[in-house]
Amino acid sequence: MTQPTFTQPLTGARSILAPVKGRIGGAIALASFSAITGIGSLLAVPPIAAELLSESPEPAVIWRWLVIAVVMVAIAFSTRSLAFTVSHLAAFKLEVILRTALTEHLAQVPLGYVITTGSGAIKKLVQDDVKSLHAFVADSTPLIGQAYTTPVLSLVIMILADWRLGLITLAVLPIGMIFIQLALRDYGEQRKAYDQANEQINGVIIEFVQGMQVVRTFDDGSSSFARFQRSLDSFTQTLREWNAKTQLSGRLGTLLFEPLPTLLVVSAAGAWLMMQGSLSFPRLLVFLLIAPRLCGAFKPIFTLAHFINQSNAGALRIGAVLAEPVLPQPQHPQQPKTAEITLQTVTFTYGDGRPALQDISLHMPAGSVTALVGPSGAGKTTLARLIPRFWDVDGGAIEIGGVDVRQMTSATLMSWVSFVFQDTFLLYDTIGNNIKLGRPNATDAEVEAAARAAQAHDFILALPNGYDTIAGERGTRLSGGQRQRITIARAILQDNPIVVLDEATAFADPENEALIQDAIASLTQGKTLIVVAHRLSTIMHADQMAVLDQGKLVELGKHDQLLQSNGVYTRLWSRHQQAQNWELSVRSRSVLAARTNSI
Amino acid sequence: MFQTYRRMMTVTGSYRPQLQTALLLSVIASIIQGIIFALFFPLFSALLTQPIDAQRVWILLGGFGVLVVIEGLLRWRELDFSWLTSSKVAHETRLKLAEQLRRIPLQDLSRRRSGDLNVVMSGNVSELVMWIGSLATLVIQTIVVPLITFLITLWIDWRLAVALLVAFPIAVPTYRYMRSLVKAMLRDVAAADAETASRVVEYAQGLPVLRATQQIGVRSQRLQTTLERQRQIQVKGQRLGVLPSITMATLVEVGVVALMGLGTLFILQGSLSIPMLFALLVIAMRFTEPLTQLIHLASVFDLMEIGLERIEALMSIPALPVQPPATQLTRFDITFDQVSFRYADQTEWALQDVSFHLPARSLTALVGPSGGGKTTITRLISRFADIQTGAIRIGGVDIRQVDPAALMRSLSVVFQDVYLFDDTILNNIRMAKPDATDADIEAAARAANCHEFITRLPDGYETRIGDIGGALSGGERQRISIARAMLKNAPIVLLDEPTSALDTESEVAVQEAINRLVVDKTVIVIAHRLSTVVGSDLILVLADGQVIEQGSHPELLAQQGRYASMWTVQQQSQGWRIAS
Repeated sequence: MTQPTFTQPLTGARSILAPVKGRIGGAIALASFSAITGIGSLLAVPPIAAELLSESPEPAVIWRWLVIAVVMVAIAFSTRSLAFTVSHLAAFKLEVILRTALTEHLAQVPLGYVITTGSGAIKKLVQDDVKSLHAFVADSTPLIGQAYTTPVLSLVIMILADWRLGLITLAVLPIGMIFIQLALRDYGEQRKAYDQANEQINGVIIEFVQGMQVVRTFDDGSSSFARFQRSLDSFTQTLREWNAKTQLSGRLGTLLFEPLPTLLVVSAAGAWLMMQGSLSFPRLLVFLLIAPRLCGAFKPIFTLAHFINQSNAGALRIGAVLAEPVLPQPQHPQQPKTAEITLQTVTFTYGDGRPALQDISLHMPAGSVTALVGPSGAGKTTLARLIPRFWDVDGGAIEIGGVDVRQMTSATLMSWVSFVFQDTFLLYDTIGNNIKLGRPNATDAEVEAAARAAQAHDFILALPNGYDTIAGERGTRLSGGQRQRITIARAILQDNPIVVLDEATAFADPENEALIQDAIASLTQGKTLIVVAHRLSTIMHADQMAVLDQGKLVELGKHDQLLQSNGVYTRLWSRHQQAQNWELSVRSRSVLAARTNSI
Repeated sequence: MFQTYRRMMTVTGSYRPQLQTALLLSVIASIIQGIIFALFFPLFSALLTQPIDAQRVWILLGGFGVLVVIEGLLRWRELDFSWLTSSKVAHETRLKLAEQLRRIPLQDLSRRRSGDLNVVMSGNVSELVMWIGSLATLVIQTIVVPLITFLITLWIDWRLAVALLVAFPIAVPTYRYMRSLVKAMLRDVAAADAETASRVVEYAQGLPVLRATQQIGVRSQRLQTTLERQRQIQVKGQRLGVLPSITMATLVEVGVVALMGLGTLFILQGSLSIPMLFALLVIAMRFTEPLTQLIHLASVFDLMEIGLERIEALMSIPALPVQPPATQLTRFDITFDQVSFRYADQTEWALQDVSFHLPARSLTALVGPSGGGKTTITRLISRFADIQTGAIRIGGVDIRQVDPAALMRSLSVVFQDVYLFDDTILNNIRMAKPDATDADIEAAARAANCHEFITRLPDGYETRIGDIGGALSGGERQRISIARAMLKNAPIVLLDEPTSALDTESEVAVQEAINRLVVDKTVIVIAHRLSTVVGSDLILVLADGQVIEQGSHPELLAQQGRYASMWTVQQQSQGWRIAS
């Protein structure tokens, strides 16, 4: 089925960081304080030099300055590590808060959103995107504090020490900045070209890797290799063009931010001023010690820019999901009384505006079996998923026991409707707990009874630890049919009055198929059953068949009645018979020739 | 260190000379930098003599300037690698990796998850290239500059040189200890992350059930426990990591203060001149800077190391050997001669002592329970991996003596899941035979029952698969893949449950396409519905990796064995039925 899409309003990164805002501020403040004391410790050196250069050096004065330097160093380092500790703990805390918020939110948005997003993408969001915030919160915030405090303080000190030399030193900085700016010129445009090329090459790499297994049997991979090579060429070309444009200023910027040029300028200007007699040696020392720090303070920011960008992208994706509207809950929740289902002129449209279901009215009495049949794309699965409210209908209503599904809480609805889909889902936990998931307070005897009914008891006992075997652990590979039977046991234990069944199109082998047939028979006994059928012979005996075609209910009735009406169902049935009777042969050319134009 | 260097050189491939040049330039530039720093000794002496020795000062500053320019030029050339060569290295590495992917046995390919391979090919390569040049030269700078300044200090005053070194005997082991801690921590954190990831996947998949029992968000015990455990491991790692890094950074700065104290003492004693001490102090600041920078980059270093390791691991997988004499295939009967095979990471045999002969242009069906070895047989014919004992022959030739490309040319495989490239439909079909004309392709498409729906698409054969994506049904995708096989017209056709994932309507169209594909071919089919294969020349019943029965349909029914009972079960159920 096609995926409905939703509009995604963006909330900024700011609100995502809100829970740890105080801690982040604390980390920045501590780091700034550390930068101040770090520079402060250097300021103990010139007085020592002055004392040593004086006529009669006083050892006590020198030792006092040395002690001050040691204390300052100690404070600088403890506040610095404290800053990092605070920011890291904040980041860890934020991870838990965001993961909990995301999983909580995902439990409240329409299930259809969860299903169409897919567990892989949700994993990426909850695990990887949340983790990408770490680089910003934990690693960058202290450095940001440092990066702002160090240059400002250094400048103030240098100007105070000697304004002339201060201004000369300062001149190096804008020159470096100009080159960095030049390097970043057209940055946005080039970046976009690069990102596009990068995205393209990543797509091709994924294709190359995933398709390799399959295409190797066709062309030993040469045509996919050619595609790969073409994309790689254009990627490298884009990268080179970008490099060519920015390399001159980029290189100059890199070299100017090294300490050597600054040291040279300061030494030369300082020496000249000293020869003029207007600068003392201790003041020159101030410059030689502090000026290189000025350049160094910016460096980590450049290194971190990449990670900060990633954090930003992650924050935006998290914000988008958190902004996803939740499924509205009723103000005055109601409980259904019976398990009958009524669809009243149900209309549903996919997010992209294509109508999926139009004007469908259907009554399913409690305890009856209704089969949804129709060609692929007719809307069978969509209709089945509207009953447990994976999405809300756009028009009309779905009622269970006379109560609109929108007037029930999610918990109520879920305790009325069970569903068994093709994709089985098992927790990495014991098989017993996997069954119990449907009803956490069930006794072992009830679990076993459910397993027996689902034809799973025997194979479970044959596993190394019986019901205590961990599903999916090494050495206990369960077959598709066995996994299916465990999920059926879960639904049996749940014992909800309504069962929605999306029939698996393929079961592993005939023997398993018979067992699953029995399991489903026990699950659906006495329930209101809605089954999406792909193989018509399974549902021949249903109480009613709702035949869908292009989102509309075109026929309704029992198998025999529908066959007589000679409509869509009759066509489907004859196709089904034909498919069932397929007999493969490497020789029957004459028969084939006759059929060639029948499709 | 040397291993990293060796790996770096391997990865740079044909650009090795450029990297070596960059490294050499870095060594020379770092030596010059050391010499520049040493100039502070005479410079300070000249500045502190009364009156200032102006001529000496200007000569020294002139030398300073010249050396800074030379150093700058060298660094400029050194940056060539980062700015010009690294993109070429990335290009070459990706090509080499892609070539390797085409060569390695399919078994190795399927064992690696595609996500993992994507990371190696896109992520790791760019990480490496980003860092390989700058990190290597930084390491050199960190080692060479302090070394030179140390040597010069030694020449001026050996006692201060020793003082400068005091920090090192403590710093180096601390650094190593820290690295090992960080590595262990990264492992723990990675394990915790993986645990969270799988819990989240479970949660997302189980939400329908979990919602019914309200085990959601904060009330989801399993999830909350895992998140809390993850946080604890992170906090623990943080605590462990803080102490050594404080020690490390403090040691370096304490070394500077110690130098200051010791120097003052010597000056007061009269055994050291004042300019020497302050020159040394200015140098010592430069001495420690690269060291602290290196500590910050330790994690980047680990990242690069891991990337190098992964690339090396992928590159080191040997291709399947072709045994001489390399032979062409002329006949297409297939023989399994006492074949036993075990998958690389398994202890149990997937096939044990399997023997059979399939004449050319015959139809053979593989039936039996899942896990019995059906798919393994079809994989081994396409040389997915080499068997442990026995031999597989096509037309009497052991497939290990056939060039893999030639072997693939004689096979067509139709899988349950179809892979189409994000390219035009025309090119997706043409892939099977690059020199095919458009007319050939259309004929293949007609035979595969897909001409009609293709021409209904807005751009016909020029429609890009990516543009219509989900709009193609499973059956339509399957028919495109059959058109591909049709065009290829290989003498052997392997069918692995090609219609089992389809709905009834597309199933008939795909069945017809297959009917045309298999005419006059040697065909092996894995079928879930036994009625499909009743007309087979040979039916092999596989269970637990062994052929337990073989013969034609009537023969097997007469045997009253496993096949006969499977047949009975399937005749009864014809798929399960809902009782009302």
